[in-house]
Amino acid sequence: MGRTWWKGILITVTMISALSVSGCGYNDLQGLDEDTKAAWSEVINQYQRRADLIPNLVATVKGYAAHEKETLEGVVNARAKATGMQVTPEVLKDPAAFEAFQKAQAGLTSALGRLIAIAENYPNLKADQNFRDLQSQLEGTENRITVARKRYIDRVAEYNKMVRFFPTNLTAKLLLHLEERPNFTVADENAVAKPPEVKF
Amino acid sequence: MDRKQTVPVHRGFVSCFILVSTVTSALVFAFLAHALDVPPLTGRIVDLAHVLPNSTMESLTAQLAAHETQSSNQVAVLIVPSLEGEPLEEFSHRVATAWKLGQKGTDNGALLLVAIKERKVRIEVGYGLEGVLTDARSAQIIRNEIVPRFRADDMPGGVIGGINAIVKTIEGTYQASEKAVPRQESDVIGQVVVAVIVGLFVGLLFMNIHRFIGPLAGAGISTLLAPWLVPAFMASGITLLLLLMIGASGTGGRRSRYSGMDDWVWYSSRGGGWGGGSFGSRGGFSGGGGDFGGGGASGNW
Repeated sequence: MGRTWWKGILITVTMISALSVSGCGYNDLQGLDEDTKAAWSEVINQYQRRADLIPNLVATVKGYAAHEKETLEGVVNARAKATGMQVTPEVLKDPAAFEAFQKAQAGLTSALGRLIAIAENYPNLKADQNFRDLQSQLEGTENRITVARKRYIDRVAEYNKMVRFFPTNLTAKLLLHLEERPNFTVADENAVAKPPEVKF
Repeated sequence: MDRKQTVPVHRGFVSCFILVSTVTSALVFAFLAHALDVPPLTGRIVDLAHVLPNSTMESLTAQLAAHETQSSNQVAVLIVPSLEGEPLEEFSHRVATAWKLGQKGTDNGALLLVAIKERKVRIEVGYGLEGVLTDARSAQIIRNEIVPRFRADDMPGGVIGGINAIVKTIEGTYQASEKAVPRQESDVIGQVVVAVIVGLFVGLLFMNIHRFIGPLAGAGISTLLAPWLVPAFMASGITLLLLLMIGASGTGGRRSRYSGMDDWVWYSSRGGGWGGGSFGSRGGFSGGGGDFGGGGASGNW
């Protein structure tokens, strides 16, 4: 009689501690979910900022290098494709949409790289104050994109860890129906990192 | 469940835990060994390449200190001999966020970074200053003020010109809503010292009851006062040792204990003052908690 009583207490205590552990997991997961969404919003923000710089940039380059039609049109089209995508935090739940978004932005990055590269052939364009300012704004935005992406990567790693670790994975899968979030792939990171440099 | 079986299982857990924590700490240390360490923030001008004469450093420090007093913006300069392979923007962002230039919330900090070997210069701008010290203006400053002088081998001139331009660009346009008070950095060592002092005091009070009650009580108080976990254990360990030593030396008649207590009471009250002093401002320059989003501009010469 004494032993079963003791066992009962032990089981109750174990259950309560198990519940409180997953209770903690519940809040942590919600917090990290919000953090990840916020970090993603920042990434989208910076990509948008870059897209906003482009019309001005294209107009300035046209002033000096109007016959570089292919490159100019390439940039305009890439921008249209990237901004045409509906990007919301919901994208994080859909790895295919995330992948498509990455590809579109990478396409815009390489188109921009080509545009900046052809400016090397036009000394007057290079010396133009407006072009210089736009170029520095573009470089600044690219850097901000890098920082925002890095912060997102860190957040998402924390979140994914929580979703996969025991026992919080129980709370994640069974209670909240949270899945792992997609992350930027390294291959894209390198391709996106630097626009092609042209050296003569 | 058979009682006999629980003991080997328990031992297994302990050794597994030790193994896992050792491996984890090794990995953590390996990860922390980055390409280039963030240099300590020894002042507003950190010149690790020794290209600036003392007079320049003093005048720049005074100029930037005055600027901070007036506007709460924190501008700093870092000159490194080499980036050692790390990309300029990555290193710059790392340093700026580690130094936390600018006030928490307003993020009004800026860093001028010069890498001698790579001949690269960057102005890293905090979130709060991006409105006035825009990417375009930062690029202009680098192009017009810094690079020409650097090309002419005038490093001090370039840095002075750059800082002047940065300050002028910010000044007048940026108004701090209130004068910021320099943040008191929490001094862990100070807290440990205070914990030990208070623990000693309490322990000595209890010493009259029994030789072991004193040290235990004192160590307990020290554990509570110091930050958890490592400093707390350090503080309680020190307190325990000291109190046991006092207890051991204080054996004998009531007279010796009484006089011993007197000495230590006097010492503790002095120590209390000393502990309080270590909480105060360090006197040097430290970051206000500002954050950086990657704004600014880079250049080379």
